[in-house]
Amino acid sequence: MLIDELVLDRPIAENGAEIELNGVSHGFGDLRVLSHIDLRIAPGEFVSIVGKSGCGKSTLLRLIAGLDQPRAGQIRIGGASVESRKEDLRVMFQEPRLLPWASVADNVAVGLRPGENPDEVGRALQAVQLSEKAGEWPARLSGGQKQRAALARALVNGPRLLMLDEPLGALDALTRLAMQGLIRKIHALEGFTAIPVTHDVAEAVALSDRVIVLGQGHILEDFRIVRVAETPRGSPELLRIEQEILARIMG
Amino acid sequence: MTTYDGFAERSDPPRRSYRPEFSALLPYALPLAILVLWEIGSATGLISDRALPRPSQIIATGASMTASGELFTHLGVSAARALAGLIVGGGIGFALGLANGLSRRWDEVTDTTLQMIRNIPHLALIPLVILWFGIGEGAKLFLVALGVFSLIYLNTMHGIRSVDPQLIEMGRAYGMRPAALFRKVILPGALPSIFVGLRYALGIMWLTLIVAETLSASSGLGYLAMKSREFMQLDIVVLSILLYAVLGKLADTLTRILEGRVLRWSPAHADR
Repeated sequence: MLIDELVLDRPIAENGAEIELNGVSHGFGDLRVLSHIDLRIAPGEFVSIVGKSGCGKSTLLRLIAGLDQPRAGQIRIGGASVESRKEDLRVMFQEPRLLPWASVADNVAVGLRPGENPDEVGRALQAVQLSEKAGEWPARLSGGQKQRAALARALVNGPRLLMLDEPLGALDALTRLAMQGLIRKIHALEGFTAIPVTHDVAEAVALSDRVIVLGQGHILEDFRIVRVAETPRGSPELLRIEQEILARIMG
Repeated sequence: MTTYDGFAERSDPPRRSYRPEFSALLPYALPLAILVLWEIGSATGLISDRALPRPSQIIATGASMTASGELFTHLGVSAARALAGLIVGGGIGFALGLANGLSRRWDEVTDTTLQMIRNIPHLALIPLVILWFGIGEGAKLFLVALGVFSLIYLNTMHGIRSVDPQLIEMGRAYGMRPAALFRKVILPGALPSIFVGLRYALGIMWLTLIVAETLSASSGLGYLAMKSREFMQLDIVVLSILLYAVLGKLADTLTRILEGRVLRWSPAHADR
């Protein structure tokens, strides 16, 4: 099936992991960044986390990804600890973080589990439309191509949870739009749970099933976005939600 | 499948092209011109043959010594000493650089000592080395190894410390175990700096060896030059000096080729 023909309100595969946060707190030194976060994300949901700079959204992402350990509280992925689910979750960083000394294909292969079929690399590159660059050095790719290679690396082992830390922040507007469409479509095909962190409210509303507004270390609001089939970007309904979220962030 | 407009490919800019045979010879034009001017200077009597023999005479001497095999014997002995010293000293420096770059604890225990050793001019140890090893092979090996050690050590450690921490975090997040992390991320990231160390080390390697051979040896290029001085064979003295220049350039070229291969991913090394 061509991915362009898909209706995007529900993933076709059911592959996603359920995420549960109970009373999660974190801080640096005396600074409290997150306090008592309770959050439940259903399998396959696309949930954006938005908020001002320094609201703790990246910290929350790093905790769920297991890059940092929370000071208090519990994080469960698919009912198990983060550590035991490491192979099921993948992070896409703000920077592509490609190994400059490895070809694009070898970079994507970094995402494979040991012993996994290397043919998956070709498939992942095809999914992000980068097959013709498989043998190139990362230095010879454009910004958007680098992020597509990073996306292929994150998706190559069929993760159950994909976290994205403002991965489109450094891209130009057109490339950004194309990447948003690509991520949403791959999500529809693969059915993983997706948690992007962004400060771009319009992007969050355009992509997500839910938008969580974070502020002063708390969840301020949890917006559910109901789409009838494919609600077009810029429809009055979405714009209204966008305004509401912005108002909440700005306090 | 749809092609997205935002992903339009850029084509490579056209490269400047010299005729290859010309650009390959260009770097040697200046040394050649100096030799020609020198020959003319000698022929017109501007440069006295007693102070500096003319190039044609040096080349003739070189040819006859090559034919007799004498030159290659000395050259081979010197090259073997240089290489052995480089392997021993470079190996130790590389190992310590790895250990101290990877482990804070190792660094705390050894770095101060290594910095003190590094700051002793290694040629200052010559009197001690002669007392310990006599004028045998051990003395030269020790001095060359000591000379190259600190350069390889410093640059290996620096290379490992300066690997992008974001790449290391990515590797960990993607499930790399320490061995894989070292092989795929840390070592390749440190290589550019290690190569800088190697190129400096090659210079120090020749310098140390020649000094050591000049002071005390019974074979090798340094010995050849000193022996010829005693017999006033100026052409052989100058010949050995010119050979150092050639050997140094050769070692540097080989390193560059190796560097170009290993670091071909880097825009700074590509297309050279």
